[in-house]
Amino acid sequence: MLKINKLNTYYRESHILKDVSVSVDRGQVVIMLGPNGHGKSTLLKSICGLVEKIDGQILYDGQDITGLASDKIVNLGVTYIAENRELFPYMTVMENLKLGAYSKNARGNEKENMAWVASLFPKLMQRQNQLASTMSGGEAKMLAIARGLMSDADLLCIDEPGLGLQPSYRVEISQIIKEISRQGKTVFIVEQNIPQLIEMADKIYIMEEGGISFEGGKYDVLNNEQLKEIFLGL
Amino acid sequence: MSLKRMILTLCGFYCVMGIMPLFFGGTDYIMNILIMILIWAVVASCWDVIMGFAGIFSFGQVAFYVIGAYASAILSVSMDIPPVFSIIMAGVITGLVGVLVGLPCLRLAGPYVALVTFAVHMTLVPFLRGPLGRAIGSGGSQGILTIPPIKLFGLAFSSDQLVPFFYLTFFLTIICTLVLVLMIKSYWGTAFLALKDSENFAASLGISAFKYKLMVFALTSFITGLFGALYAHYVGMLSTKMLSMDVFTILMIMMVIGGIGKYPGVVVGAVITVTLSQLLAPLGMYRPLIMGAIVVVLVLFLRDGIISPIIRLLSPLQRVVVEEE
Amino acid sequence: MFLEIIEVFTSGLINGSVYALMAVGLTLVYGVTKAFNFAYGSFYNLGGYFAWVLLIPLGVIGGYFSVFFMAIPFFFIVGYLLEKVLISPLRKYDDWEMKVMMLTLGLSLFMDFGYQAIFGPRIKSLPGIIEGTVQVGEVVLFQQDIVIFILSLSGMLCFWWILNNTRTGMAVQAVAQNPAGAQIVGIPKDFIFAATFAISTMMVGFGGILLCQKNFVDPMGSTDIMIKAWVITAFGGMGSIRGSLYAAFILGMLEAFVGWYFGMIHVQIATLTLLLVTLAIRPRGLMGRE
Repeated sequence: MLKINKLNTYYRESHILKDVSVSVDRGQVVIMLGPNGHGKSTLLKSICGLVEKIDGQILYDGQDITGLASDKIVNLGVTYIAENRELFPYMTVMENLKLGAYSKNARGNEKENMAWVASLFPKLMQRQNQLASTMSGGEAKMLAIARGLMSDADLLCIDEPGLGLQPSYRVEISQIIKEISRQGKTVFIVEQNIPQLIEMADKIYIMEEGGISFEGGKYDVLNNEQLKEIFLGL
Repeated sequence: MSLKRMILTLCGFYCVMGIMPLFFGGTDYIMNILIMILIWAVVASCWDVIMGFAGIFSFGQVAFYVIGAYASAILSVSMDIPPVFSIIMAGVITGLVGVLVGLPCLRLAGPYVALVTFAVHMTLVPFLRGPLGRAIGSGGSQGILTIPPIKLFGLAFSSDQLVPFFYLTFFLTIICTLVLVLMIKSYWGTAFLALKDSENFAASLGISAFKYKLMVFALTSFITGLFGALYAHYVGMLSTKMLSMDVFTILMIMMVIGGIGKYPGVVVGAVITVTLSQLLAPLGMYRPLIMGAIVVVLVLFLRDGIISPIIRLLSPLQRVVVEEE
Repeated sequence: MFLEIIEVFTSGLINGSVYALMAVGLTLVYGVTKAFNFAYGSFYNLGGYFAWVLLIPLGVIGGYFSVFFMAIPFFFIVGYLLEKVLISPLRKYDDWEMKVMMLTLGLSLFMDFGYQAIFGPRIKSLPGIIEGTVQVGEVVLFQQDIVIFILSLSGMLCFWWILNNTRTGMAVQAVAQNPAGAQIVGIPKDFIFAATFAISTMMVGFGGILLCQKNFVDPMGSTDIMIKAWVITAFGGMGSIRGSLYAAFILGMLEAFVGWYFGMIHVQIATLTLLLVTLAIRPRGLMGRE
């Protein structure tokens, strides 16, 4: 479904991603591990058209989406869920969700998606008229995920959903991702604070210094004491 | 640009300017252009230091120029102060106005600074024309018509004798240019570049953004006022027409041609713009029309001004000069 | 005395309503695109000349009704093209904010003297939308003023409705509040930028028609309007629509009362003083957000 060949990105003078090749199949949960600041977020952003200087090839369903504008990519069914949430602070929860369904392909299914999101996040629905800027960190994170689901995407690129959250929220997030995956969505996720996620993973990548240093199944990581200790802190 | 290259470019430019009267001393038309180039080059350089180096979006440069001009004219006409002193006093007054405007406005975000300084510019017109201005001797909408020429050691510098006035202006220009170069390249200059780059970073180095911005604002206002005053005694009359958008745009074209923060690009910009503006003068109201169009086109297509391409062309020549030293 | 105060008050209210219409458009552009449009006043004049050309030389059927009807698409397209052709190419530069200011300033000079070249330097007067007066108790009101007030108020309500009830309106707000977030949900930023310029140009053109038919079309009057619109925007807090709404009425009143009591020549000085004092106390204006 997603195939990345030799991707390179640059920010100002620095070379961030170096010849990154990744592939994600339909329906899979793929997890990217690795130290902070080594380009994991940049990879997700490049897929979604949020990085300016990129070089290489990104194929989505066989179509070349390299360098395409972000709104076109969202229309094709690829959505980015930001680590720092990027909500609309002076809008209500409901308005944020509705804007999540801005893209053309999401408009037709807005009602069904809203019902699905409501069943996944009952707590959000109780606060639908609250302004996003007044929510706590955990709730805002949930809203960011919910808004991402409203886009009717087939491929969700989720950036560190558990960062800075309490353990209870992390458990909730792992359950939600399980549910998303059960709906047939493909999930490409950067996260290393939620060990439960590893259990769901179909494939695991490790990124170091802008390149892929490891690729394998979950057991390759879980059975490798060194990797386990370094990246999962287990 | 390196200090050496900057000074070489400036030296070369002012050496050429300095010998121009030998060839054109008898032609008033060209001498007038040369004097205006000297004056505008300094005013535009000040603006470049404010915008390009200190990163202040000031749109009050013409206002300060006019404040200096009016201050000196009023002092010498109404109070009979000899122009030599009134010019310096005008510079000090303009510097103080700069501090006054800078105090509330330099703490604001970029666009607000532009707006407030531009509002100062726009308010000067009704101020100078209205009863308040008339009370201090601005002459209302008529302006001031009989500004005495500068007298120094029994010599009169006026628009009747362009060559002596040229050299007086030249002398002041060199001094002020030196001050500006020092400002750009000294510790201040480094501080400003750091400020422009990141105020937080600079603040962490112990550089108070506000203090330095205020200092540069005051100093450039002083110099601008000084040259405004010089201009007043040169032409001998003033009116609020100096505040029209036409003049503002001319100054802006110098910046666009020279490139913002590409000092001494604006000096080259001043040469081209002043000459162009004089050549277009017979076109009357079509001149501002053309000037406006030039701004639009230049901003769209001239990324960093023309100084960079020129330097690239001249660099082999400069290298020869540097190596010979 | 009392009657006079009522008159001054109504004139402040009417000017305030038109200023609000124009300032709201400007603050929207700044809030969404962060571009500083210094040619705003020249588009106000474009409104005046647009109405003049249609009404006087062409003598269009339907009078002001047709003028407004045609003004909407005309100013929308002008604003859209302005952004696409002149503003958006500058975004790739680091110092694009400064470049936009310079470009629009040059554009305004070009437009102002363009009007002079085409229509001559003399002011032009437009026929009134409606003549006659209404008497309420002892107060005499011009029907024209009432029409201006109603039209600019309904223009603003229209704008408010579009902004809060249409998909594009919500997208415009989204870009203003969080450009990165807007990009993530798939809002095409380029289109929204151009649409915002189009909407604001529509509003200032509309305001130009309304005020020019009350006063007159002055080819050199644009800087005055531009400064007014900008002062209102800064005073209210750049990017805050509610702030500029309040600021417009405060400034309309200030102008009316200062002009009446001290003379018109003091209006700009009073306005600047108010702006400086406000910014000294609240560096982001009345309702500006961090």
